[in-house]
Amino acid sequence: MTRYVMVIDQRRCIGCHSCTVACRVWNKLPLDIIYNPVVSEGVQGTWPNVHRNWTPLLCMHCENPECVPCCPSGASQQDDDGTVWVDPKKCLSCKVCVNACPYGMRDASHMENRMHRFVRKCTFCRDKRQLDPDAQPYCVETCHQKARIFGDLDDPNSEVSKLIGSVKTDRIFTEFGTEPQIYYIPCLGGQA
Amino acid sequence: MKHHYWEPPIALYLFLGGLAGGILFLSAIFNSFVIPGYGEIFAMPVLISLVCVAIGCVFLIIDLGQPGVFWRVWTTATSIIKWGATFLVIAAVFALLYLLAYLDQAWPIFAPLSQLLLPAADFFLIVAGFFGLCIMMYTGIMLSTLKAHAFWATPALPVLFTISAISTGCAAVVLSIGGWPAQITLESLLAAALVLEILHIVDIVLVIAELIVLLTMVLSFAGAGNVTAKKAAMRWVKGSYALLFWVGMVFIGLLVPLMMYIGGGHSAASTVVAPILVLCGGCLLRFMVVNTDDRADIPGEIRYYNRVLSSNGQEFTTKWEYGKNLF
Repeated sequence: MTRYVMVIDQRRCIGCHSCTVACRVWNKLPLDIIYNPVVSEGVQGTWPNVHRNWTPLLCMHCENPECVPCCPSGASQQDDDGTVWVDPKKCLSCKVCVNACPYGMRDASHMENRMHRFVRKCTFCRDKRQLDPDAQPYCVETCHQKARIFGDLDDPNSEVSKLIGSVKTDRIFTEFGTEPQIYYIPCLGGQA
Repeated sequence: MKHHYWEPPIALYLFLGGLAGGILFLSAIFNSFVIPGYGEIFAMPVLISLVCVAIGCVFLIIDLGQPGVFWRVWTTATSIIKWGATFLVIAAVFALLYLLAYLDQAWPIFAPLSQLLLPAADFFLIVAGFFGLCIMMYTGIMLSTLKAHAFWATPALPVLFTISAISTGCAAVVLSIGGWPAQITLESLLAAALVLEILHIVDIVLVIAELIVLLTMVLSFAGAGNVTAKKAAMRWVKGSYALLFWVGMVFIGLLVPLMMYIGGGHSAASTVVAPILVLCGGCLLRFMVVNTDDRADIPGEIRYYNRVLSSNGQEFTTKWEYGKNLF
């Protein structure tokens, strides 16, 4: 089996927003849709002891997604490899999945034709990987700091499974029981 | 939080759906168990519930991103939204059958159809009432299954919505019982008067219960909720929603009608004004709850979206049209 996950090394992220730009350009997103914002709480600490952390976000491609069973039309679905995606041909845009997601990583664009909107979300570049199974998502390819690492968790030789096995990783909002599959290697601060 | 994902049409739909369910439920109870045999006095309340379901469905459909293919809601087995849509349709169909059974009293041209349906009219209303109860519970349960929103994901919300729905349904029945197309005989007039007397007491009980559940839910969130729920509840108790909550909902929507019901006797205040205030309070409740869709924030998220959606960003994004990119 294949289980695609992403490891995000926050120690390496410098907050350049390249992944955001690459995703928006390649996936041709409307302006009000951002799949992978890079957020920060700003500079923390008191001079001269300051640090700043960047948290790249994206759909968590949860093991138990909240957004899939609530979908009335079956548009929101999960592949065997763990990818959660929305089929625009089936979507009604009732926005129940948007409300169900604890991470706020889905939305329907308000800039499209009023009679033809659908919910969009990160798909780990599913369309690209269908053409070439070894392809990496655009945000991973474009990250010059190699802060985003994509791979198969079930393959013991992949970089992600080695990292997750050897380094302490965090996940966001595990209390909802969604088993998010984006693993963060936290930056503890103090590293310029 | 970027914006409200569900907009006013959904809040109105939740109100109208609950109202229709409440009317059907109360009509079924009274027609089957309390005073059987005077079905015609419930024709007008059932008609109002049908109108509410129709308007609610229109709001529900226009809120969709693809209104033309709303039937796709029935394409999976597990979704709770599908159950709500099913309950709405079944309740509406049986309410319509019930209404048709009494329509000949106003328009004799329907006499053959009405005579065909009349023997089963009580059964139609029981089915419609049962599914009306399902609609009332569904409106709250649907929101409370979305556990991403701390203010919704509480067992108190379905209880509150169900009580509010029966209470608004009670108010609507009080306002409309015995109306067209019922042909008023002395007996049916007495039956309607009896129903009104009972509903008077029922609504007092319901308004008190709603007040208790509402205050318990909001104040316990404000005192002991998690960070997100507490922030939302504080907005109700002493933040930007405080005026709407304390004055609009608690005072005008619940306490004033309660005083009118208790002290008003058979005056217009008790029989007309109080039910209208209860209806307004129920509508306000749905709007406030739907707008309180606070999600736990990922650290830094608010800061990010505030920058993207700042005044400059807003102007930039609104001047851009989809499909006109130049790359």
